[in-house]
Amino acid sequence: MREKDATVTVIIDNQSYRVPRGYTILQAAERFDIYIPTLCSHKDLSPFGGCRLCIVEVEGMRNFPTACTTPVEEGMIIRTHTAQVQSVRKEILQLFLSEHTSSCLICDEREECKRYLGTIRKAGVTTGCRYCPKDGQCELQEVVEKLGIQEIEYPIYYRNLRVEKEDPFYDRDYNLCILCGRCVRMCQEVRLANVLAFKQRGRNTIVGPAYARTHLESGCEFCGACVSVCPTGTLYEKARKWEGVAQLEQVTTCSFCGVGCQISLQIKADRVIGGLPAEDPLVNNGQLCVKGRFCIPELVNGPWRLRHPFKKFNGLEVDISWEDAITLAAEQLSRCAPDEFGLLISSNCTTEDLYIAQKFARVAMGSNQVDSPARLFYGPALNAYLALLEKSVPLAEVREAPAILCVGLDTRYGRSVVGVELRRAMHRGARVITIHPREHNLALTAHAWIQPPPGGEGEILQFFARFTAGEESASPPETNLSSETLRQLARELKQASGVVILVGSEVLHYSASPQILAVLHRLAENLGAGVLPLPAQNNFVGSLLMGTYPELLPGGFSSANEKRLKELEKVWQTEFRPLTNGWNSGNLSAGKPLKVLYLIGEALPSGEPPAEFLIFQNIYPPDSPIRPDLTLPAAAFTEADGTFVNGEGRVQRVHRAVNPPGEALPDWEILCRIARKMGVRGFDFSDVREIHREIAALVDGFQDFDQPPRQARSLTIEGKFQIAASGSFEAKPDGKKYPYLLNAAPLEHVYRGFPLSSRVEGARVIFADEVLHMNPRDARRARLQEGDPVEVTSQYFRKVWPVKFSPELNRGIVQVTVLQNELIGLNPIPVIIRKSHV
Amino acid sequence: MNSLEEKINRARQEWQALNNGKTPIIYIGAATCGRAAGALEVLAAVRETLKQHRLRAHIVPVGCIGPCYLEPLMDVKRPGYPRICYGSVTPAKARRILESFLLEDDPLPELAVGHFGRDGDPALEGIPRFFDLPMLKPQVRVVLQNCGFIDPENIDHYLANDGYQGLLKAFSLGPEAVIEEVGEAGLRGRGGAGFPTARKWRICRQAPGEVKYLICNVSEGDPGAFMNRSLIEGDPHCVLEGMLIAAYAIGASHGYIYINSDYHLAIARLKKAKEQMEAYGLLGENILGSGFDFDLTIKEGAGAFVCGEETALIGSIEGRRGMPRSRPPFPAVSGLFGKPTVINNVETLGTLPNILRNGASWYRQFGVKGNYGTKTFSLVGSIRRGGLIEVPLGIKLRQIIFDIGGGSWKKFKGVQTGGPSGGCLSEEFLDLPVEYEAMAAAGSIMGSGGMIVLDEDTCPVDLALYFLHFTQKESCGKCVPCRVGTWHMVTILEKITRGQAVAEDLSQLQILAETVKRASLCGLGQTAPNPVLTTLRYFRSEYLAHIKEKFCAAAVCRELVEYSIDPEKCNGCQQCLEVCPTAAIKGARAEVHQIDQFRCIKCKACYEVCRYHPLAANAIVISSGRGVA
Repeated sequence: MREKDATVTVIIDNQSYRVPRGYTILQAAERFDIYIPTLCSHKDLSPFGGCRLCIVEVEGMRNFPTACTTPVEEGMIIRTHTAQVQSVRKEILQLFLSEHTSSCLICDEREECKRYLGTIRKAGVTTGCRYCPKDGQCELQEVVEKLGIQEIEYPIYYRNLRVEKEDPFYDRDYNLCILCGRCVRMCQEVRLANVLAFKQRGRNTIVGPAYARTHLESGCEFCGACVSVCPTGTLYEKARKWEGVAQLEQVTTCSFCGVGCQISLQIKADRVIGGLPAEDPLVNNGQLCVKGRFCIPELVNGPWRLRHPFKKFNGLEVDISWEDAITLAAEQLSRCAPDEFGLLISSNCTTEDLYIAQKFARVAMGSNQVDSPARLFYGPALNAYLALLEKSVPLAEVREAPAILCVGLDTRYGRSVVGVELRRAMHRGARVITIHPREHNLALTAHAWIQPPPGGEGEILQFFARFTAGEESASPPETNLSSETLRQLARELKQASGVVILVGSEVLHYSASPQILAVLHRLAENLGAGVLPLPAQNNFVGSLLMGTYPELLPGGFSSANEKRLKELEKVWQTEFRPLTNGWNSGNLSAGKPLKVLYLIGEALPSGEPPAEFLIFQNIYPPDSPIRPDLTLPAAAFTEADGTFVNGEGRVQRVHRAVNPPGEALPDWEILCRIARKMGVRGFDFSDVREIHREIAALVDGFQDFDQPPRQARSLTIEGKFQIAASGSFEAKPDGKKYPYLLNAAPLEHVYRGFPLSSRVEGARVIFADEVLHMNPRDARRARLQEGDPVEVTSQYFRKVWPVKFSPELNRGIVQVTVLQNELIGLNPIPVIIRKSHV
Repeated sequence: MNSLEEKINRARQEWQALNNGKTPIIYIGAATCGRAAGALEVLAAVRETLKQHRLRAHIVPVGCIGPCYLEPLMDVKRPGYPRICYGSVTPAKARRILESFLLEDDPLPELAVGHFGRDGDPALEGIPRFFDLPMLKPQVRVVLQNCGFIDPENIDHYLANDGYQGLLKAFSLGPEAVIEEVGEAGLRGRGGAGFPTARKWRICRQAPGEVKYLICNVSEGDPGAFMNRSLIEGDPHCVLEGMLIAAYAIGASHGYIYINSDYHLAIARLKKAKEQMEAYGLLGENILGSGFDFDLTIKEGAGAFVCGEETALIGSIEGRRGMPRSRPPFPAVSGLFGKPTVINNVETLGTLPNILRNGASWYRQFGVKGNYGTKTFSLVGSIRRGGLIEVPLGIKLRQIIFDIGGGSWKKFKGVQTGGPSGGCLSEEFLDLPVEYEAMAAAGSIMGSGGMIVLDEDTCPVDLALYFLHFTQKESCGKCVPCRVGTWHMVTILEKITRGQAVAEDLSQLQILAETVKRASLCGLGQTAPNPVLTTLRYFRSEYLAHIKEKFCAAAVCRELVEYSIDPEKCNGCQQCLEVCPTAAIKGARAEVHQIDQFRCIKCKACYEVCRYHPLAANAIVISSGRGVA
């Protein structure tokens, strides 16, 4: 073997080239812009050699080798376009077309049809006459054009398969499939999900999950990677099916969770028509989850988007001009005392919006009553969670860790990007242990799945912590695994160096969560492990850094920090003394009754209006029956510039990809206009860059707006959050039998207070919110059908939810996700379940 | 090694005692072919007869000895006589033979097929020598030497017949010399492609890496082929010994036997043989003190035809879908789990013990230059003496078909070698020597050994359609030429057999066949058009007759034939009226019947009943009339 030479010389079409050793002929040709037609090869996937179009002539090799699978060798003489090769290619392509609906490719009238749609009436759907969603982007079209096929000599036989539309997010029309296997390889090699495979043989060969299951049943993550690589119109997004080719692309940061994936928005006619993963090695590495891949267009293009400001007038809602709206807001705000005003801002907003919001409250209103209701999501566990965030390590550490412990993490839908990293880690030999009460997607692949009852995670972590602290005689709790196995796992964790602990959302909502997280913290210290909490809100860290909480000032300083207050007063040129009256989003009535409650990107509470005057600033009107007094249309994250800070502490840019609908404006701009109207100084920002510059002066890590360094930084937070006492919720014996244990959690997949499941059709299927999940055997025993309303009774409440069969739950356990302001104090809580006859 | 020598000595003594003892021995051909013909019923009858007459005898179930057309075969050896073979034995016949031979000393020469003794033994008056039978005489038994003679489930029988001597020889030579010896013998892959075995081994041996694998390919899926199954059922240890030799030569310490899961008996015998090897120290670490470690996995495949292709087979063992991949890299460089892997056919491996034991020059006495050695075939189709045969390479097709097989039942038309991947050769090729290159030049392949003889009742278009249909269904679907191309070929052939084709269809068929042959990814696709291409070449006139005259000479293609009743023969038995599903046949009892052509759906039910029913007179004629050109 001559290893010393890194390149080889090959002759392609009578011209000599130097090519790196190990390249395939196709790679070599592509490098020098020599066109070789191909349909099955893809840069991210292994060579396949299935479409046979890339055949070439190589001197000394029998038959025609395929360029995509044949590695170059020194002195190879390759001919890519001889008459023979071309004629075989044309034959092969005709074979493709004989089973692919192909009127759009070879019809005589295709040019006119493009314009006048004249032939559609004649040919129709079966022959695919311009009815293909991929028209204009189809790789088969391109190859047909390049090879100049005019007619097909073979009889056309369609497969007449049913178009599969039953799964959410994308449709599958396997009549158009050319079996290039890209989707299969994507699913198996890149995503390591193994949902798709080839099925059947001969002419019946088809792609799909095994045993004729639906994608939902087979564990598909709906990451859409298969859709992205499909060269034909076989796989197509439901939401953008007829949108055609994108005109522009804009890389930005996804706003659906704290991972902060880089996403390439597809833009057409000033509308976002889709999201594709950006080629960015830092965070998501070319992958996306279902939310970023499929949910954006439906969310931001919904027909009910707010386009104009309007006010409530005599019980009606009346459109008003921005000028009037700003005046009305300024008027109402001006008559508020500092403790009669409250501002809630979603941590889905950009860092700049958050900064301006707290500055507005503190400078314009002189009030400290500003809060991000993300605190309600973390609830009592907030302080313990912050302690973990302070120890956070970058996601990249997962790529090297010898052992990874996942707690309360399900990577099927949300955070599936992390799931891919975990599976890759397993492939390179890392041990992955997952602790989760439910059968989740890591359970299938992880080396060990420890299944505690809901809320029992703490005991396992406690055992690990004691074991790793040297107390090897500690006795492990009862779980699905034997105590010997648990000891073995503890030993493995102890011996590995560089363990990473991933913390998902499903361990944060128990009554015992503060203790669980504290034990986790101790375990991490014992192991010297890095912790990576994965916040559910995309800019949760940003909201902490900007201080949109009564307890925090910008920079993560406590609002009792005199030195910091002095600094701020200097920058803000105002006097400001924070109130400490216990007011926060969970306790709106702690101080005086509110005159004005200003909600930015937050849902309205469903009960009594909590203030005399409600300002509601969002992208959609509220779902709640309460009508706000003033509604202001805001821009979504695709329509505004700014930055997000992800869970690792990276400051990442958000780009304005399209214009906001109607007269909608970015949040910061609305706030600045109101402040100016009120005559407050310090809000003369004309550009988000100026805000960023002001932030940079106050907070570490914020530098260049246009080129943020995107470095991972762990958080430093001074002081503690006030946690509202959860009361004396305890399950007291009252003589009744409560056979089920209810695990209730707040909705996680929310954007600006709106559950994705309420705005995106597919999300409704995968994130079944406000639905009682129940083991089907339990449900059948209780004589329940799927969808039946059931009454859930505990010692403290009585609720009615529809039931959904979830085989992944253990028997005796039921689960529900509810809007965060309806949370129940004790969790998990014993309940009685019976069919509701309402 | 001492312990093995002891075991060999003991086995030899037992073998001697068995063969020269006073107890009669009854051999029953109980391989799958025998069982299908009723060997187990014969076995039960033998047991019962022995019990009834309080006779003592050893019953030895053996593998297939060759003449499957005579199954079930029962051989009896009693003191004073050589072993005598009886064919087409029924339970009643078995009882009669035993009673007559064992009790009355009459070997019933009229029922005997042949004896295994010396020529001219007066006691054997009227019985020919078995190996002098016309079917056996031109054959050479190298691989099959033990089949039918030893109990395949008894390792001692194998040891007594020079078993594992080849392995001992290999150990004494060393791996390099083993490859040298096999190369010297000129052994080529018996799976059909004929790649020199020693060269493949050398590539693998020289490939870098500690871990290497050996795979024995028993994925026998051709219609009409059963050589590999018969060999494993009749003599599993010779294949396993071959595997040890090959693994030793290439430096593999783990082997796989990839076998169709529907080969139940073969799998059971392999498993048993593996246990015996373990017990005898022939598997595991440091085998016979040679320092060579080897372990074995029997992997049952689901029986897809394409899994006989080596890269698909590897995929299947790895747990993936049986789907071929492009070569290079060849498995000998990067195969199973990415490690250098040699995949050898059963027969290739089964030949090795003999080559090692007797030496390369001994092996080269069989066959001709470039094509040394022997090859097994399963001789089936329209043949008088079908069965499992082994012939030296270079033998003429005529010798196989006419001397061994006794010719076709009706007028000979052609022979299909190599199953669906092979070609159909016409009468003019009867003098073609059975050699890899000669067969390929004629448009066929040697193949793994299926040989289907066709007579004038076979329509070549229908035959090509049958094989194409098979390959089309078995295509993995990965590459277009094979998946779609073969399918278009099927439809064109269907058109021809229905008489709906036009002349242009033939040229399109030809172009399509060439494209599929050239552009397909793996061997399945590349050889799939062979039946079409060869029939087009050698039976073109019949294709043209189908197209132009709507005439099927063999009267096979349903749309082109008519059913009629020969008034001379019909005896009016009314049996055909009973079975006709469309009431197309009319006629009173004892009067000549008639077929209503409009109602007739050509289901062949009347033909079958008229031909085989005891009352009927074989009066139904299927004929194809020449239409107007």
